[in-house]
Amino acid sequence: MVSQAEKLLIDVGSTYFKVCTPTSIEQHFRDFNQDILDDLMSKCGDTISRFDKQDVHICSSANGGLSTLIIGITNSFSLKYATNIAFNSGINIIDTILFQNIEDYSVPSDLIDVVIVVGGVDSHSNLYSEKIFSYLDQLNYSNAVFVGSTQDSQSMRDNIENLVVLPNIIDDKLHIVEEHLKDYLTNLYQQDIEGKEEIKHLYEITSNQILSTPYVVNRALPHIETRVSVANPFILLDIGGATTDIHYSKDLVDENIVTENEYDRLVFKRLGVYKSRQSLILAAQSNEFVYELLLHLGVTENIYNEQTDKATKILMQLAIFLVLCKMSHYRQSYVNLRLLQINSIVLTGGITKVLSQDEVETIIAFFYRKILSSGHNPVAVMDSNYDIWTLGTKV
Amino acid sequence: MSLLQEEREIILSNEYVDSFDFAEVSEFVSNASKDLFISHHFAKREKMLVQPRGGFPTYQQQYALYEYFVDANVDVLPLTIDSNTRLNDYATAKKMLRLSEENDMDMLNGYPLVTHGYRTTRKMITHFDKPVSLRHGTPDARLLIETAIASGIFEIEGGPITYLLPYSKNFPLDKAFLYWKYVERVCANYSELNEPINRESFGPLTATLVPPSITIVIQLLEMLLSLEEGVKSFSVSFAQQGSMNQDIVTGAVLKKMAKHYAEEIDCGDAAINLVYHQWMGAFPTNQDFADQLINLSTVIASMVGADKIITKTRQEATGIPTKEANAKTVADTQYCLRILNGLPSVVDEEEEEMLTLQVKAIMEAVFNDPADTLWRKVFNSIKNGVIDVPFSPHIINQNEMITIRDAGKNIRIIERGNVPIPDRCYEYEKSQCDLSKDTTSIVNDIIHDIGIMQW
Repeated sequence: MVSQAEKLLIDVGSTYFKVCTPTSIEQHFRDFNQDILDDLMSKCGDTISRFDKQDVHICSSANGGLSTLIIGITNSFSLKYATNIAFNSGINIIDTILFQNIEDYSVPSDLIDVVIVVGGVDSHSNLYSEKIFSYLDQLNYSNAVFVGSTQDSQSMRDNIENLVVLPNIIDDKLHIVEEHLKDYLTNLYQQDIEGKEEIKHLYEITSNQILSTPYVVNRALPHIETRVSVANPFILLDIGGATTDIHYSKDLVDENIVTENEYDRLVFKRLGVYKSRQSLILAAQSNEFVYELLLHLGVTENIYNEQTDKATKILMQLAIFLVLCKMSHYRQSYVNLRLLQINSIVLTGGITKVLSQDEVETIIAFFYRKILSSGHNPVAVMDSNYDIWTLGTKV
Repeated sequence: MSLLQEEREIILSNEYVDSFDFAEVSEFVSNASKDLFISHHFAKREKMLVQPRGGFPTYQQQYALYEYFVDANVDVLPLTIDSNTRLNDYATAKKMLRLSEENDMDMLNGYPLVTHGYRTTRKMITHFDKPVSLRHGTPDARLLIETAIASGIFEIEGGPITYLLPYSKNFPLDKAFLYWKYVERVCANYSELNEPINRESFGPLTATLVPPSITIVIQLLEMLLSLEEGVKSFSVSFAQQGSMNQDIVTGAVLKKMAKHYAEEIDCGDAAINLVYHQWMGAFPTNQDFADQLINLSTVIASMVGADKIITKTRQEATGIPTKEANAKTVADTQYCLRILNGLPSVVDEEEEEMLTLQVKAIMEAVFNDPADTLWRKVFNSIKNGVIDVPFSPHIINQNEMITIRDAGKNIRIIERGNVPIPDRCYEYEKSQCDLSKDTTSIVNDIIHDIGIMQW
């Protein structure tokens, strides 16, 4: 066995897994015909067996992400606050419903992992009526949480089965109170990851809690300058096989509403280069600039049909472009960043093993020129040795 | 290469910077005229320095303003920065500057320093050979400060708290601390080459019923954050509060405490100076009244023993002042200072004791925060309301403290919120006020206080 202070760090993604010892780091493409644990042991068994269970730390983003539907009273407060908390907990928002118009909304047919009901400050009551209960009766969901006015909590509890009631996320000064709902959602996310059969088996090699990868990366960011040369404000892109995570400095957002955490994060669930390949291609095909981008890269749309290394490279470059588009004013979305103020764009994950610095920078320059009509040129920083992830697991 | 230098190179590779030459800038600072350094003038202690405010979009307008100021016998020239540059929106600043130049109409409310660049601005600064003070209000001032120092501007106003809590709704405060740490380090490094670069905190804060204990604590903390990074010349400041006695007491306690806490962190060798702002609240629209208010402020600054006074103009209530009005204030203030002789020394021991106790209690609470660095202790203290700035629009500020004026127009704390005001002081503060009024009347008094100097 190795000495006690040394740790083995394992990250299980949807496409790759990586294993980091104090002296080495290795990355392997997953064999989807095998259970994760079997695959891991067959490729890195010798390394893993050198460590005690308590020294093995695992995080995973494989198929991670819960879905939520939020019902609130106003767009400016309850829905806005709950949306922010849900996104920062790594939850995918299926829809947000303004209660006053609830009868106009269709009922989603998919199973919703968690329904969030929110609205009002604590001095107000009777904000909801029977309509919400009949809507929920038609909805297929696993969990429900109420984070609205405390005066309404009893009536909500009486009418909604297995409702979890947490403190109001809006305080008397209309500020956001995020910690309770965030903890609840993060724990649900955690349970979801742990509940997956394949992940459960990983507890045979670790006695530590398995964490979600975006959470681990996010908590490394305040200390990032100790590992890579980066200047704030920056964004970090983690482009994976199934999802793309973006972490960003909060001063890049006009509508910052929280006082904790220097960095927020968003997870784009269907933007990846392997498992989400088809939805990435679909997104690319519907972007009016991608044709020009492909020309710029010296390829045609036929690349989408190829299964070559070059095709993977192009898809990764497209993913960078598309995620930047999603965060810009070109696409109005949950959050639009002030991209002209970014000093560094950090890339981590498998992408750093596939693309060179030049290949990344050409996309960034193309994006700024075409979408923002600017010569702004943030520095691309490649976290090729997974330093940020390693740092996050140690914080 | 140091981490700071790596960061500097990224910051200065900005597309709006025309190739920053680090070596040339260092050489310029090393050989710069001593007269450009306000720290040099402070050290001579010849008189209270007079500094107006002012910034115009174009080079020509700014140059003309400086000519007026010099004719009016100004001691320190101002360079007030436009709002777009303050918010790091250099693209808009550039567009608006071009429109201002082409249309002979001001499309910016200040001088877009980053857009003009340091090579151009330096010509103007070195021509006048007077110290220039940078007035901005920027949470992320890294690029602006690099450009300013390279231009020959050796006094930098601001700080992570005083340039954020009064001005911003939601810029993350933790980021502001880190950005200002960069500024302090750059100022400290350049200070080794010639006379010290002076850093100045912005004491007026929201200029709305801020009690002296909060003003002083924030001044002291920004001073400590600056000194711990190696800055050797720092100005604490505050604005006219509405009561001459309270101003005199505030000045005395602020000077005493600044020296005390600087020595506590082994920075007793740093030069600490006191700056007084003429009335920062709503000005009378009657320009004759405005002149009276300005003169009264000058008298109080003398009573307080300020090292520098920052002036307003008779046009304050109506918009951005003309260069003529601005120069008039400078001339009037210089005249007033010349004829102010034989001022009595006023000491109010009871008030000084009460204020000192409050300041020490809040400072102790900040230092007792378990965080490992001073900036994080301060950050936590603002977050949990140990430091609470009345009427700050920022989401992190607790806004639990309530203050009103007593019969002598002193600002008093009647609700302390989470601020650890000692019980004895709290009772004293409340005992000075008429609290028999109903809540509505008190709220009305607070609202009407905004216009206290109107007539």
